[in-house]
Amino acid sequence: MSDVTATGSDALSSARLAQFQAEVEKLRVTGGTANPERTGAKGGVALMAIGVALAVIGLLLGLTSDNGNDNTDAITLSVTGTGLGIVGSALWLRNSLTRYFRFWLIRLVYEQREQTDRIVGGN
Amino acid sequence: MTSIVPVLELRGVRAGYGPIDVLHGVDLEVHAGQVYALLGPNGAGKSTTLAVASAQIVPSAGSLLLFGRDVTGVSVDALARAGVCVIPEGRGIFPNLSVAENLRMATFTGVSFADVQEKAFAQFPRLGERRRQIAGTLSGGEQQMLAMARALATNPAVLLIDELSMGLAPIIVEELYEHVGRVAREGLSILIVEQFVHEILGVADVAAIMLHGRIVQVGRPASIADELASAYLAGGAGRGAGTNGTSKVADR
Repeated sequence: MSDVTATGSDALSSARLAQFQAEVEKLRVTGGTANPERTGAKGGVALMAIGVALAVIGLLLGLTSDNGNDNTDAITLSVTGTGLGIVGSALWLRNSLTRYFRFWLIRLVYEQREQTDRIVGGN
Repeated sequence: MTSIVPVLELRGVRAGYGPIDVLHGVDLEVHAGQVYALLGPNGAGKSTTLAVASAQIVPSAGSLLLFGRDVTGVSVDALARAGVCVIPEGRGIFPNLSVAENLRMATFTGVSFADVQEKAFAQFPRLGERRRQIAGTLSGGEQQMLAMARALATNPAVLLIDELSMGLAPIIVEELYEHVGRVAREGLSILIVEQFVHEILGVADVAAIMLHGRIVQVGRPASIADELASAYLAGGAGRGAGTNGTSKVADR
């Protein structure tokens, strides 16, 4: 490698490194978790449990009270709890099924490639 | 040429798939313009290490650092746009698309398609002859050339290569490693994992042996080559390994 080439390569790589370093500084690091689906599924289950608990508490409060205001509060509590339960269920379902669908997709891609190889091999 | 701060660093990385840990505290540093060869048998954790380095897997412990900045948890696409490029095991080309269409995938960095093709066909003339051919019908070596051309067309700063020689004839492997050596001399930082060590040790600046999710030895390629057999047979505890320019990594 000549001196000129070496100098040219060093300059090129230094410029590219400087550009890369600038890009790295601009990176937004949100900080993912090692297993976000498991965290999401656990969160969904927790939310479901809280939602069901709130709904049941609201129901019991409503049944045991004759006061209109208390009944209104109890209804609000039950509806909120039901909503949380539905959101928690959706969260759990989404995170539970994601891994299953990912493996299903990978298997589909693998089988497609096998088929392509067989077709190409046959020709 | 080396910089003081590593371009790419894994520090105390533990990672795996679901409940199964594959990496048990991995430390490695790749400096600017350096070729770092990570060697080891099948199942050692080499590909998982690359997956962590490219942000495809978030480690359960430890950090991924670029130029000393902790970027653990960064998104894969952001890292790719910044300049970290992966050539995966099995090439990763789109078998149903043509050579030219596969190369078009490299234009996401803003480089024009014409420039991508010019660069790729200059490096690999054989691809130019087959630009309209469906990639899945190329030979294994040509597919690997296509994968390399596509990766290099993105003008990466760090290149991560997984098992370049897999399934290829020795003469093709030799040709591909000549290309690796050439881009390394241009200053690209390369982390490459391999099972078959003969060719890679000729271009690597640093070599490390990985066994059972841990790096058990690091050193100059010539020294690592001497220790390779004993390291494999010793089962990764560093027993029976010499000290000819290598360092044994304490078992964690």
